Amino acid sequence: MYDRSIPFGATIKWMKKETRDTWTYALRINDREIKKSYCFQPGQFNMLSLPGIGEAAISISSHAADHDLLHTLKVAGDVTTAISKMRAGDVIGVRGPFGRGWPMEEADNKNVIIIAGGVGIAPLRSVMRHLAARHRDRSGKVMIYYGAKTPKDIVYRDEFPRYRDMFSVFLAVDKADPEEYWKGEVGLVTRLLAKTSFDPLGTTVFICGPEVMMRATISDLLIRGVPGEKIYLSMERHMNCGMGICGHCFFGPKFVCKDGPVFRYADIADFLGLREV
Amino acid sequence: MKRVKIIKEDLKTIFEALAQRYRTIGPKLVHGTVVMAESSFEDIPAGYEDRQGPGSYRLEKKETEEIFSFSPGADSFKKYLCPSSVTSFSFQKSAKGFVVDVPEREGMPLAFIGSRACDLAALSLLDQVFLDGPVRDQGYEGRRKSIFIVSVNCNHPSENCFCDAMGTGPYAKEGFDLCITEIRNWLLVEAGSVEGEKVLEILPHREIDAGDLDEKRIVIARCREMIKKSMKTEDLPGVIYRNLEHPRWTEIAGKDLECGNCTMVCPTCFCNSSYDVLSLRTVSSNLRDFSGVRRRTWDSCFSKNFARVHGGNFRPSRRARYRHWMTHKLAYWIEQFGSPGCVGCGRCITWCPVGIDITHELEELRRVR
Repeated sequence: MYDRSIPFGATIKWMKKETRDTWTYALRINDREIKKSYCFQPGQFNMLSLPGIGEAAISISSHAADHDLLHTLKVAGDVTTAISKMRAGDVIGVRGPFGRGWPMEEADNKNVIIIAGGVGIAPLRSVMRHLAARHRDRSGKVMIYYGAKTPKDIVYRDEFPRYRDMFSVFLAVDKADPEEYWKGEVGLVTRLLAKTSFDPLGTTVFICGPEVMMRATISDLLIRGVPGEKIYLSMERHMNCGMGICGHCFFGPKFVCKDGPVFRYADIADFLGLREV
Repeated sequence: MKRVKIIKEDLKTIFEALAQRYRTIGPKLVHGTVVMAESSFEDIPAGYEDRQGPGSYRLEKKETEEIFSFSPGADSFKKYLCPSSVTSFSFQKSAKGFVVDVPEREGMPLAFIGSRACDLAALSLLDQVFLDGPVRDQGYEGRRKSIFIVSVNCNHPSENCFCDAMGTGPYAKEGFDLCITEIRNWLLVEAGSVEGEKVLEILPHREIDAGDLDEKRIVIARCREMIKKSMKTEDLPGVIYRNLEHPRWTEIAGKDLECGNCTMVCPTCFCNSSYDVLSLRTVSSNLRDFSGVRRRTWDSCFSKNFARVHGGNFRPSRRARYRHWMTHKLAYWIEQFGSPGCVGCGRCITWCPVGIDITHELEELRRVR
């Protein structure tokens, strides 16, 4: 096994503009040995780095069987800004994979609800791809709820028609764009949830999005009767080492990098409502 | 394991024997404080006694034959095993990509002489952090694995020591190669490892009898009596979790300078930050080809941007940052690693410029208002 504290090189194979500020990058690991032994779980993340600039924790969005590693990132800080200026053929540093991902065994042959907000869809795309690949052999319904700011901010927009064929997909935007035809919901993703029915005891829920959105969604889910131990969410904190030795990513007693980023709601419920923990 | 009695002068022999194979790190007097540094037998500040208080440390020379008359200063194992600044790797960037080079670990292994029981307890906590996680920290492992430890049981606890309450001291139970108890004009030396026994064999020594062990017990009991500070631990971590919104936090924040001294001197505080360092020449010249290093330095949860992400800071207030530090030490750590992250060495109290006392603050949190 390679040393996950040292970045290895990966070449940008292609890139795709998802929205005005969000890009998807397909990376291929340069070193053949590392490429062979590299394997990840949906929900895990890599530390992407550019020498001299820094590192950023970005979740993995591809399916385990895909040829390339996909990362969808919103241009925000130094690293993501620098990455957004790179082109196909350029080399990025990668460390990983890190963290605990989505409990896929909880999704097999069960009803699954996926709820995402904004670029929070990125770590859930690998779940969606995983479920889509097994669509024919699996039992249980899959429902996807996704909220974005405007129709133009929907990440993976071109992929939703395909998911619609297999799953129930519900999209909502905060604000519809008057110049564009939008027949979906306008409002928060919780509104979508309230309009649909599901079996609260027989469903596993995966959520990723801004923390306020996750908290609001979870409180609705709990009211609907979904037990706290069946709700999973992916948290975001400042990551520096990715492997539990730098102390930056604490969320209460949890290291988000090694105990998470995916947590069972019941395990972190005590800290989720607290300010500044 | 072997236990023998030696005369004090033979401590010098231990130093010399270890110096053959190790860099000997021991207590040394520098600028009026006891520090850990590369040192010899003669460097031990024998006869010095320290007086410590909240935010205060003074050394005084006493008329005594004692060698280990002082309690430890600000330094602990972490100064050498996870140094304040280390180079993780260097890199060479070109248009085609980058090449990473991990520095070879060179030099002699380290022998620590004069470590106390609280420091040994802290070392085992650091081991959990750096070695038991999903990825072993190879730098720490390399520095840690071949060390030799000569611990010393305390005769003179400082005014800020509360190791007894934390169950870590005042005497060392395990984790040493040799352990010294200073009893009047001789030293009781116990081996804790095969390596330690080897060193004992070369010393001129006398076997011990039951009376000598009784004397050790008396020394420890006397030391226990001298420890004045205490911390009630039975209701940890619950008492802190129940009081996360206690008014005391705001009061501490009014005093706290956020200098981060407590986190620097704490033997278990491990937080760090890694960043890339480029030479000035690199920055000013061709931007496609350059080289640099990834450096890791100690950081502190008191740093304002410690929990900052793009779009916001998870702990913007001083109140929250102090609360985070103390809650980590006394509550989170128990959930993370099975025991408190505080070993009762009292360093954070001594070296706090405004004398914030963690034992006192815990008592304040217990007060219902």
